Amino acid sequence: MHEPRDGRHAITETLPETPQEVTEKVLHNHLATGPLFRVAAVFCGVLLLLGVVGFILRVAGGFDDRTKWGYYGAIFFYILTTAQAAPIVSVAMRMAKNHWRRPLARAAELYAIVGVLNLLIFIPLLFVLPSAAGRRSLWLDGAARMNAGGSGWPPLAPHLWIALMLAGLVFLGLALLYTAALPDLATVRDHSTSKRHSMLRRLTLGWRGTPFQWRAHRAALGVLGGLYFMFYISTHSFIAIDYGVALVPGWKDSIFPAFQVLSSLQSALAITLVTMFFLRQTGGYKEFFYVDPFWALSKILLATTILWFYFWWASFFTFWYGRTQAEQNVLQLLMFGPYRPLFILAFLFSFLLPFLLLIWNAVRKSILGPTVAAALVLAGNFFDRLRVYVASFSVEDIRAHQLESVPAAHLPDGADILIILGALGGLVLFYLVGTRLVPVLSMWELKEYLTLRRIRPFLKTHVRVMAKPE
Amino acid sequence: MVQERPKHKWTMVVDIDRCSGCQACVVACQAENNITINEQRDFLQRRAKEWIRIERYWEAIDPSKPAEFPNVKARFIPIMCQQCDNAPCEPVCPVYATYHNNEGLNVQVYNRCVGTRYCANNCPYQVRFFNFWEPVWPESLRNQLNPDVTVRSRGIMEKCTFCVQRLSRARRTIEGRRGKRITDESMTEENLMPACVMACPTGALVFGDREDPKSRVNELLKEHDPRQAKSVAARGYRVLEDLTTEPNVVYLKKVDPHLKKVKAHA
Amino acid sequence: MQERRPLSDVQINKALLRNVLAAPLWFWGLVLLLALVVAAGAGAAGWMFNRGTGVLGVNRPAMWGFLIVNFVFWIGISHAGVMLSAILRLAYAEWRRPMVRAAEVLTVFSLMTAMLMPFIHSGRPWRLAYWAFPYDFARGIFPNIRSALIWDPSAVFTYLISSSLFILVTLLPDIAVIRDRTTGIRHKIYSAMALGWRGTPRQWRLQGIAGILLSAIILPIFVSVHSIVSWDFGMAVSVEGWHATIFAPYFVIGAVLSGVSAVVTLMALMRWLFKWEDHIREEHFDAMGRLLVVIATAWFYFFAMEFMFGLFTLEPQEVALRQLQVFEWPWSALFIIFILTAYFIPVPLWLFRSVRRNVAAMFWISIMVNIGMWLERFIIIVPGLLRKQPFTFVWGSYRPSPIEIIIVAATFCLVALGILLFSKVFPLVPLAEAKEGQILADQIKVGKKTIPAVMREE
Repeated sequence: MHEPRDGRHAITETLPETPQEVTEKVLHNHLATGPLFRVAAVFCGVLLLLGVVGFILRVAGGFDDRTKWGYYGAIFFYILTTAQAAPIVSVAMRMAKNHWRRPLARAAELYAIVGVLNLLIFIPLLFVLPSAAGRRSLWLDGAARMNAGGSGWPPLAPHLWIALMLAGLVFLGLALLYTAALPDLATVRDHSTSKRHSMLRRLTLGWRGTPFQWRAHRAALGVLGGLYFMFYISTHSFIAIDYGVALVPGWKDSIFPAFQVLSSLQSALAITLVTMFFLRQTGGYKEFFYVDPFWALSKILLATTILWFYFWWASFFTFWYGRTQAEQNVLQLLMFGPYRPLFILAFLFSFLLPFLLLIWNAVRKSILGPTVAAALVLAGNFFDRLRVYVASFSVEDIRAHQLESVPAAHLPDGADILIILGALGGLVLFYLVGTRLVPVLSMWELKEYLTLRRIRPFLKTHVRVMAKPE
Repeated sequence: MVQERPKHKWTMVVDIDRCSGCQACVVACQAENNITINEQRDFLQRRAKEWIRIERYWEAIDPSKPAEFPNVKARFIPIMCQQCDNAPCEPVCPVYATYHNNEGLNVQVYNRCVGTRYCANNCPYQVRFFNFWEPVWPESLRNQLNPDVTVRSRGIMEKCTFCVQRLSRARRTIEGRRGKRITDESMTEENLMPACVMACPTGALVFGDREDPKSRVNELLKEHDPRQAKSVAARGYRVLEDLTTEPNVVYLKKVDPHLKKVKAHA
Repeated sequence: MQERRPLSDVQINKALLRNVLAAPLWFWGLVLLLALVVAAGAGAAGWMFNRGTGVLGVNRPAMWGFLIVNFVFWIGISHAGVMLSAILRLAYAEWRRPMVRAAEVLTVFSLMTAMLMPFIHSGRPWRLAYWAFPYDFARGIFPNIRSALIWDPSAVFTYLISSSLFILVTLLPDIAVIRDRTTGIRHKIYSAMALGWRGTPRQWRLQGIAGILLSAIILPIFVSVHSIVSWDFGMAVSVEGWHATIFAPYFVIGAVLSGVSAVVTLMALMRWLFKWEDHIREEHFDAMGRLLVVIATAWFYFFAMEFMFGLFTLEPQEVALRQLQVFEWPWSALFIIFILTAYFIPVPLWLFRSVRRNVAAMFWISIMVNIGMWLERFIIIVPGLLRKQPFTFVWGSYRPSPIEIIIVAATFCLVALGILLFSKVFPLVPLAEAKEGQILADQIKVGKKTIPAVMREE
């Protein structure tokens, strides 16, 4: 634990005192690469190669049998809802003008880089997705499609549109990362020499921090954040519908897209917390990740964990109370039938265990507590994606009126395990490379904080006074 | 010592092929069950009470052409309370005014009902009727009310009971006094079949006890159960079956000779 | 967000207690007017008890009509209180201070009004009064806990009790201030109610803890209340348009939208009627406007999902239902008004800072949102019943009767009357919060500029 400073027992902040110190410490860490980093990078690289082997095996089996692609789809959705969702934490908190977001904003939005990997993973799934013609799907061409098997409206739906949405989301994430990091890249530029210097000089587009540039920067961040938010919600909803709900006849579950968005928010918070923990313990940023960001983030994690249960319950309860055969079969498929163990694990790790941990303030107001809860949530989300997407990919007759029989559990084969390991390795590798390209702490936001914050005596103690410029 | 009563499971079979849409069942039901007279006002207010009603649909004979004369055919289907084994109206009543009894009937307890009308909302067959007004009969009909049937006050729900007053009389007289089993024959003899069944001139409505292996209902169900006999003759179906309400009214669908002709043309 | 004029404690007391200590004449005039409309509503309800439910427009299949729509609407409005006070209190949002009390009071009165609706719309309310409430031990029949209509009163009354407690706890310091400024019988009553509040540090600490604890405990109740109200509809498997899994969060977020809008209406009224310009400032409307943009957009997402999934499986009755809602007169007109007033007019307007800071504009927009949200409930509840299954034979229509319209109008006056009478007895803006806000305000010099600042204790 950190040591309280004199007379400031209420204030747990351990940030450096001056903006100069922030620059020095962050740059020191950013420009040096330790042995641990190399070992981790090589290990993840090997995993990624194994994943490529698994992928080749999977492609050799062809695209016709959707069931075989279940685990591949699930791991795509896992990355989509965890790593690729993380920038939303930074976007949302910046919109809410929280101060505690400042140390963690970059760590979260740096995950936009993983989006590139996931976009690559997504491409084969386009071939797995059956066309919307003649089946119940959200893409609207109504009666024509049902009767005549028309080509669908809008044209090439759903394939082209979800691909565009996902690509847009990845692009916006990268644009957001670049814009947010621009002032920091300029700082790195000014403190480095030779090759890195000349490369960054081109990249930073002549950023010198004039008032005009700062105003433009602020506006750009606002617009990109808003766009990212919209793309985030709609992409998650539509992809979840097309690969989940639309593949299971009778699964008329209007909360599912929102549930998927919510669990991706939960996992985004979780992966940010875990990243913060590693940056604090092994990344050399101990003083930046003091207890306040962990505390604040874990409160929101608790809220999303409770909402996870709420959304799940709303969907389960409506189906269970309804008692129609279609609803019973869908519940069997997703929760109580072949994938029951996965569902129980998901329920434990996504809701029950983190909930029981996080309701205690003593756990929330610590470093380890939120991290453990976050790790549980990440595991829970993994089981949840498997449960939903392996199940939905395994349904044979997607044109039926309702699910007539529940298919048996589909177990992973060797290729699936290689793919899962490779995808996870690739996720970490991309992030590690990202930390070398962009400073993992948002220096300008921390410096802004230091200028707006004062510590003043009040009665017998000291309090933090925050300026509110608008 | 408590004597165990014979078990019953009351079931109705409606043969639509025999239904001519004459509405005799509707009138009989109205008279038997003390249902107020549906005046023009009641229909205009959409508050008419018909425990059994004949729904009439105009259907195209040849579906590929527009449904205009002469390409139309009138279809009838009598709809009454389906006495579902898995009734959606039952769990939603806050005061247990509707519940399932041990003879497979979906029973309405008038005294308990407070009139939330939730059951009517949750009934997919729309066979529950609410007493919006205090029931009134013309002076001349004062003495025609059936003494066996409660007159329902305003503010409560009512619906087809399978003429439960006749069923309990059957239990009292045939089972109780004579100590015999209730059969199709004894019920018909004693005039204890539901009013609509007794009134139906074409015999489209068949009522009976499924626990009685010799009953006509059982015979028809065996013959027409599509799950057991996959022959063309198996015409049995239950309305809105995919809601899993498990109705105790089974319909036998219409035989359509003209449809074969249309198909042959095509 | 700190455009405040420095005010002394005396000034705050004087301004905020003006109505409690000496109510102006217009106050009594307004009370009388509202009481007359409420009396008309009571008369209409009495006529209905006397004649039967037939005097309403409800029929078969539209067994539920205006009164149930109004019930859902007022339950929705009641969500304002907790949304604002609990969430903003937990988040330490500085701008919550002047509106928390008004929001909580709105919660309590709208809940009471809401619960009147299902009660009087039942066929035999006199029976309902003594055997659904709650246990009929004499006849040995427990209420049917499988019915959503039993969950409903349980949730709503829990909410009512806990939010009344919440108000009482936050009122204690203010009651003590009034106690010290009254004489005679009023002094005695306020003394009893103040529970010996003297403002010692220990009392303040306990009061603070109680406020935070109650906020945290109320939050799940608040979510459960409207979820359960939505399940009155969502559990109905036979009404295809109602049986959607999204109903619970969709109703909750809709409730928050209409509730927060209602608080904006109330803020504008308080500012105008009681001349509290120093307390309810433009910055507060600004903050509410921003909050509303987020809430309205979230609501729109859920609305879109609900609508899209209705059509998703192309079931005949769903298609017929959406066709009725969107294309058939007069539902089509109502639908257009609803979607415009609930989202497409207010949200673009709220995006402009000048609109958010214009009190009159915010007032009218907030009223517009609630027109839209009332229609939303109407468009969900009644058409769902009119097209509940594929048999066209029993499709119907619905038209409200004058009795229903009078009762609905009277409920608006009843809530307003309740809040007005409350404002005669207790201050509608918490004195303690206003004073705390003054103490925590500070200033910081950054470069050449002096920026308003606020102390953060957490």
